[in-house]
Amino acid sequence: MKIMRVEKTLVSTNRIDGFGHRPLLVVQEKEGGSRSVAVDAVGCIPGDWVICVGSSAAREAAGSKEFPSDLTIVGIIDHWTGENG
Amino acid sequence: MEIMRVKDDLVCTRRVPGLQASSLRVLQNQNGSLFVATDPVGVPPGKWVFTASGSAARWAMPDAQVMTDLTICGIIDHWEE
Repeated sequence: MKIMRVEKTLVSTNRIDGFGHRPLLVVQEKEGGSRSVAVDAVGCIPGDWVICVGSSAAREAAGSKEFPSDLTIVGIIDHWTGENG
Repeated sequence: MEIMRVKDDLVCTRRVPGLQASSLRVLQNQNGSLFVATDPVGVPPGKWVFTASGSAARWAMPDAQVMTDLTICGIIDHWEE
């Protein structure tokens, strides 16, 4: 699992059926780092520090084994202040 | 899922049967590296997309038997780098 920070929501109207209407969020591993897209299984808001799972755990965490996600948010961290936290 | 930009179509006539007749696209990630992805959406060059990798890439295809490890999942409506 990775600790990541939610940057913003991602709007994608034209997407494959497999994703349904699940919310997608842009997440960053560190400030200014490269950005990834994660499926939100919890309901978080921009600025939250979250934990993300990858690989097949990401598919199951997003709802089913057939869900085509490779990065899913599975929890919001109560207290975290970044690298020095 | 990664954020990438579609650079071009990729024509590849001679391929393994496992790849079926999937459309292929050349993508560039945010660091400038090039990748090839299967495209079930039908994305024109220049668009920003998000992609699934690994086994999720196979589930993102209409047929999960297609032997891919990178699939375009959708077009991002607005993206500014």
